[in-house]
Amino acid sequence: MLEGWVQVVELLQLPFMQRAMLGGILTGVTGGLLGSFVILRQLSFFSDALGHSALLGMVLGVLLGLNPTVVLMVFGVGFALGVTFVLERTQLSADAVLNIIYSSSLALAVITLSLLPGYRGNLNQLLFGDILGISTAALWTSGILLLTGLAYVGLTLPSQMLLTLDEPLARARGVQVGWQRLAFVVLLALVVALAIRSVGVLLVSAFVVIPASTARMLGSRFTTYVMLAMGIGGLSAVLGMIASAALNLPSGPSIVATQLMFFLLAMGWRGAQKILGT
Amino acid sequence: MSSDGVPPIEVHDLTVAYHARPVLWDVDLVVPEGKLLAIVGPNGAGKTTLIKAVLGLVPLAAGWVHVYGRPYAEQRHLVAYVPQRFQFNPGFPMLVEEFVGLGWGALQPRWPWQQRSARRQAVKEALERAGASHLFSKALGQLSGGELKRVLLAYCLAWPRRLLILDEAPAGLDTPSEGEFYQLLEELRQSLGWAILQISHDLEMVSCYCDRVLCLNQSLICQGSPQVALAPEVLSRVYGPVRDSGAKHCFVRYIHRH
Repeated sequence: MLEGWVQVVELLQLPFMQRAMLGGILTGVTGGLLGSFVILRQLSFFSDALGHSALLGMVLGVLLGLNPTVVLMVFGVGFALGVTFVLERTQLSADAVLNIIYSSSLALAVITLSLLPGYRGNLNQLLFGDILGISTAALWTSGILLLTGLAYVGLTLPSQMLLTLDEPLARARGVQVGWQRLAFVVLLALVVALAIRSVGVLLVSAFVVIPASTARMLGSRFTTYVMLAMGIGGLSAVLGMIASAALNLPSGPSIVATQLMFFLLAMGWRGAQKILGT
Repeated sequence: MSSDGVPPIEVHDLTVAYHARPVLWDVDLVVPEGKLLAIVGPNGAGKTTLIKAVLGLVPLAAGWVHVYGRPYAEQRHLVAYVPQRFQFNPGFPMLVEEFVGLGWGALQPRWPWQQRSARRQAVKEALERAGASHLFSKALGQLSGGELKRVLLAYCLAWPRRLLILDEAPAGLDTPSEGEFYQLLEELRQSLGWAILQISHDLEMVSCYCDRVLCLNQSLICQGSPQVALAPEVLSRVYGPVRDSGAKHCFVRYIHRH
């Protein structure tokens, strides 16, 4: 037991581990912040679909020899604008449009991947991410995105709350619904695109959805709910990384497993409250 | 009229079309200061469209709408609006005091901690006026229909406004609660001098509480006091061959009693 802790402490002194921890916290906190609006606006599928579509962006980056993170972020913004454009000009529902875009992106990615012999080695990293390999530049970008998200949500909180609660009420108060929605999905796309490098396309939506869903069971005040989502996102990253170091487990999935643990604990707490009638 | 003689709402030659199909034709109306006006008419008559046109939420094919002499976008701070359907997930994490606080001030960028005490004080006073102080810390999703209407009114009261627009706000309330709601509206109108424009299907309540009635069926059929506008022959013209069961019920019940 003591040996395990000594190993964790030693590992946490290594620069790559410190970067990974910081990256996990930044991604977790930002995911919680945006996720608290995502689940109430029923945009959960958006982050999932963007994650899957991003495979095409990554493959194109490799094919063209460009920086994968930059390509992913450009691709993410393009995805957000594309989905918004198609939704505004068709009568199709959001889940149908997202499904069309992400399944066709996935198909094109697999076709392009078949043209890149020898690239398959990196596919695992793409699917599950590599938080231990997070670069200093990615950390700075994550920090800037978190500050941007905090400033955007903090300064427009009443508009965001009204828009999330009831769109007609928000429109009548002069909230620019179209612009606000667009700004939010672009920010979300940037965060998801950046997080994909760390946690992979298959797990990225967990960072957005699970902490916020947990917070929703615990907080009845809106601002408390948002802060809880951010806190659970960040704490899951810390505990997940420690568990990963102590038990020699993959880091990204360990963080997601920790998020799930908080979710189950919150469910248990709510269940106990109902039974006790409080 | 207000002291400067400008009416709260002035609509001139208004035509609104959806997909090149007109849903409102040549509507002219004036809502005077301090009066409670009701818009009545069958479903599909364009009542909600008229309100949306006043609020600048639909493009106008012809005519113009002024709120206190200017376009709505410039006078938004003077107007409170309660939409037809205020539906949200019962698990939505928001307390009553947070919701009422959203009605306070203009929605310009500001940090949540700015002017917090002024907002909190305004929320307390608004809930008190609406008879809903006891709901201050209650979750929004746990309110009954009647409580929610009072909280919506408190949301409107959180900032000094002069015009209240309600789109079937009492819908879904039982008759005693609806009566209480109208009574509250009347008290607020008298104490604050609000002008109130509302859509209603309940002709009984309209005849009891409203100063003026606008009968609409794509164009303005009649406007006047409840005695004039709700006369059986006028209502027959407004509702015509009644297809809508809800409106028909109200209409037949009202005609039967009067």
